[in-house]
Amino acid sequence: MRSYTSYDNLCAKIDKIAYTNALAKSSPVTKILFALSSLVLNVSTPSPLIPIIVFLINTILLIRFANVPSKFYLNLLAYPTIIVAISSLIIAMFFGQGEALIEIVLPWFRWTVFKNGVTMGITTFLRVEGALSCLYFLVLTTSITDIFITLRKAHIPKILIEMSLLIYRYIFVFLEVEAQMNIAQKLRLGHSNWKRRIRSLALLSGNLFIRTLEQGERTFLAMNARGYNGSIRTLDDLPQPKLVHLFGIVLFNFILIFLTFFTMNLLIM
Amino acid sequence: MLFRLENISYRYPDGTLALDRISLSFAKGERIAILGPNGCGKTTLLLHLNGILRPTSGKVYFEDKPLEYTSKSLLNLRRRVGYVFQDPNDQLFAPTVRQDVAFGPLNLGEPIDRVKKSVNEALRMVGMAEYADKPPHFLSLGEKKRVAIAGVLAMHPEVLVMDEPTSNLDPMTANDILRLLLHLNQEYGLTLILATHDVDMVPLFANKLYVMSKGKIILEGSPKEIFSNTELIRSVNLRSPRITHLFDILKRKNHLPINKQLPLTIGEARREILGLLNFKNMTELDKKVNCK
Repeated sequence: MRSYTSYDNLCAKIDKIAYTNALAKSSPVTKILFALSSLVLNVSTPSPLIPIIVFLINTILLIRFANVPSKFYLNLLAYPTIIVAISSLIIAMFFGQGEALIEIVLPWFRWTVFKNGVTMGITTFLRVEGALSCLYFLVLTTSITDIFITLRKAHIPKILIEMSLLIYRYIFVFLEVEAQMNIAQKLRLGHSNWKRRIRSLALLSGNLFIRTLEQGERTFLAMNARGYNGSIRTLDDLPQPKLVHLFGIVLFNFILIFLTFFTMNLLIM
Repeated sequence: MLFRLENISYRYPDGTLALDRISLSFAKGERIAILGPNGCGKTTLLLHLNGILRPTSGKVYFEDKPLEYTSKSLLNLRRRVGYVFQDPNDQLFAPTVRQDVAFGPLNLGEPIDRVKKSVNEALRMVGMAEYADKPPHFLSLGEKKRVAIAGVLAMHPEVLVMDEPTSNLDPMTANDILRLLLHLNQEYGLTLILATHDVDMVPLFANKLYVMSKGKIILEGSPKEIFSNTELIRSVNLRSPRITHLFDILKRKNHLPINKQLPLTIGEARREILGLLNFKNMTELDKKVNCK
């Protein structure tokens, strides 16, 4: 039953790593604090050095300490990197004002590459990569369960957490249903040409939608049978954050801020 | 009487009559099987037992008091009557096994320490203790089923209602679950009510059997009484256990001298065969075979 979807689906893979990596058992508060604080600094500093440091630290933490397969991590990075590279290139070549770096004059068009446009392009690229590494650090080391519990402790509205909890669980149920329906369609030649493929996709989506409604009804019954009365209570058992780690995060942030002052003007041409 | 159903009828919103004037009663500590073909109304009947469905007409009595459908008395009823759904995916909604099992006891408002103890105990009973921190989508169907049972056991019910507990399971897993149920019944006096169409399982498990067909109870009695009525069982798309069927053929076609009840289980059949062969001869036969 758990076969095909659980292993070839990207989100199932990420989920699996989040539960099994070497940092899975450490405190989610520490991990969330680390990821968020470095994310904020990474995005807000003008220095190009900070995103590079953040990226490297996150990558080292993920590969060396969390034992996330490096191939998988790089693969995850590859797709957004391509998109960001293209966008940054466009920013660098067409945006900005003031002092020109290159000027190409064609009979019908004058193309100027501005100095601060290039700065902006490079900064954008570095910041996005740094931010990606922060989010991947969080996503790949912290299971969604731990994140839910932490959010609950942070007094995020209950309804949001309960909804996400149910959605999260049933994503996997429906991934399986979808994979089975897809195979059933293929076996009956539902994908043999383009038109049929579109038709099969329409049938599948419609059917899946009805299935979700039915599933919702049944889950509600099942929850009622175990005494559900409007709010989901859970056992919140989390490892306590270690003081050393928290201290380390604060120190790391200070170093980043300190470095910012020295490297602020590095890129401004 | 623990449960008494009086002239229960249930009509689905689309107009189908799912239950047609059913009356029955269950005593404490019994092992009851409700046997019937697909779509006969077994699940609908079971859903009345912990107040999830409300009969269109008729009354359900629990410990001789009619069920009240207020949220307070329903909570009380549901604490005492656990319900395990057929598809564990309906039941397992929490992101980890431990959290799912803890859902019921937490709803009862028990203190955290007690909840943790109940959860660990329930998971140990079903043999899933080392899976506590896994999310349900990492588990196989059999494992999910065990977790679903644990989720109900953690509430310490007095009655366990189960819809097809062994369906879609491999023989070993089905056997394990059956054994667990029998153990719970013998050790803790848990009343078991289960719906099934697995006729081979019924004689191993039940001491009381109801046969349903098209929303009605058509037969009621011990498995022995009911499976002796081969024709009637066949007429509702069911059959006798395989071993009973074999002995039925041996008796009718080969005139094997079986005067008593036909055996329902392997154990009974073994005794019957040994009796027929005369056990003394049997050992001699064994020796001969071994000599060769």
